[in-house]
Amino acid sequence: MSNPFSYLFSCIFVIAAHAVMLFNVFSSGSYESSSDAFILAAAVIGLDIAYSFVMLFFRQHTFTVNFMLLLIINMSNIFQSCFGGVSLDVKHYVTGIAALVSCQIGFLLCRSHKRIQNEKKIVYICMILVMIAIVTLTGSRSMWVNIGNFSIQPSEFLKPLLVLACATSITEQQNKVRVWKFYIVRENVILFIMTAAICLLQWWCRDLGSIPTFAAIYAAGFLLRICYPKAKFSKKTLIAAAIAVFVIACVGVYFAPDYVKARLFTDIWSDTSGGGYQQSRALIAIAEGGWFGKGPGKGFLCDIFAHENDIVFASISEEWGLLTALMTVLALLIMISAPLFDPPRSYYHGTLAAGVCAAFTVQMALNIFGSCNLIPFTGVTIPFISAGGSSMVTSGLMTGMLTAAQSPEFHRIPGKKRGANV
Amino acid sequence: MELTPLLLCAATAAAIDICSLVLILCAYRERSTGKKRWNKISSGMELVEQGHTHRLLCDEILIGRHASADIRLPEMSVSRYHALLTVADGVWTITDLGSKSGVFVNGVQIKRKKLRENDVISIGSRRLTLRKRRDVK
Repeated sequence: MSNPFSYLFSCIFVIAAHAVMLFNVFSSGSYESSSDAFILAAAVIGLDIAYSFVMLFFRQHTFTVNFMLLLIINMSNIFQSCFGGVSLDVKHYVTGIAALVSCQIGFLLCRSHKRIQNEKKIVYICMILVMIAIVTLTGSRSMWVNIGNFSIQPSEFLKPLLVLACATSITEQQNKVRVWKFYIVRENVILFIMTAAICLLQWWCRDLGSIPTFAAIYAAGFLLRICYPKAKFSKKTLIAAAIAVFVIACVGVYFAPDYVKARLFTDIWSDTSGGGYQQSRALIAIAEGGWFGKGPGKGFLCDIFAHENDIVFASISEEWGLLTALMTVLALLIMISAPLFDPPRSYYHGTLAAGVCAAFTVQMALNIFGSCNLIPFTGVTIPFISAGGSSMVTSGLMTGMLTAAQSPEFHRIPGKKRGANV
Repeated sequence: MELTPLLLCAATAAAIDICSLVLILCAYRERSTGKKRWNKISSGMELVEQGHTHRLLCDEILIGRHASADIRLPEMSVSRYHALLTVADGVWTITDLGSKSGVFVNGVQIKRKKLRENDVISIGSRRLTLRKRRDVK
């Protein structure tokens, strides 16, 4: 470990932050029996200590992202366990642990600057398999696969795969082939086709809220191609791309389903029991919560559908106050801005970090601004804060990519021709 | 609103804020160790050309005539995308990207070669020497 003092201080302050939150729950929370609050406290502090101990077995250069993730996941556990009365939300707790595990899996998979680049076909095969699963298992106008009591949203798994596809294809920019009068990069064409296919699939499933997230990941990868030295994008290409995006957005709005058009132009205050039901309740809850909230478990928003994911920002604002809700968002922003402190040393890791930042930022913006009626309601989750197993696991994987960018490995991959990507 | 719940909520927000601040400070503290790590990975090497120094700050460095190259050599004898320097296990390797005039290391034409300290790379009419940075021990 490069810096044991940083590790120790991170552990102590993360546990201290959770302890203060739990003290708030004990003192002013709404619970039937104090054992509920004790179970929650034991689960949260226990997870903090266990995670801090387990992380000692991983060789990483820095643990900042990991401790930010721990801070956010256990904050989320406390928030989710307090909605409508204090009681440990076991399902969310388990998905939180799954997110922590998937973060380490993502880190181990992506830390080498060559491993996945040399096996990039697997990334595309996985994307195709997930798309086939969506077409065959979810059925049109649905995005869920139900297995017993569990529901999985397969499209969520396309997010980390698209980030990986963007990152692994970036080193191919100088390998151009002539097609008719144009020199094109085969990888860029494949990536564009895959992104377009994903967006069309999301349209087919009526999960339109996810399209901006996929578009943002692709845009981050596209912009980094301009920065990549072996790329050669002209200003004309950029202007053409911007015009194409604008035209596609206009066509998308024109052909959008009626319920989407209704959301775009609805006045929530004139339709508080119909289309504006959730948003109007969310805004009332934020206003009632004020800066410092009503107290854990004392909100009314828990009776509203999707209070734990789609309008979770409003739920937190109501019970814990707008200040705490904003601090939670700030913690997420700090976590994704980790690459600013120690910039990645390879284009592969840089693209991974940019893709993850783009995806998380867009998701947060869609959820929070949607809750506040600044943009149409989309139903996109805030990473780690909203409830949802698929979202937690894939967000964990993507955070693992951020960690990999912070603690990269520059080793040769045995059995592969060196520099196979050049 | 009662004072105690208000103070508790304020304390919660403050605790999250302070914890985030401490984590930022830890990240900033580890930044310097990040630079040291990179020096170790890259063996603290740099390319020197007649008193001009090119620092090697990334795992892939493109050498060429094109304006977007990491190390730009604006000579007609140099191809736009001439050669690529890559690092793995602390060893720098140079690869000829199919240039017209070729890449020479210590006078011998190569397609791909591991580099050692003080190797002289000839690209077109330019001569670059790989050497250890003086500020790296």
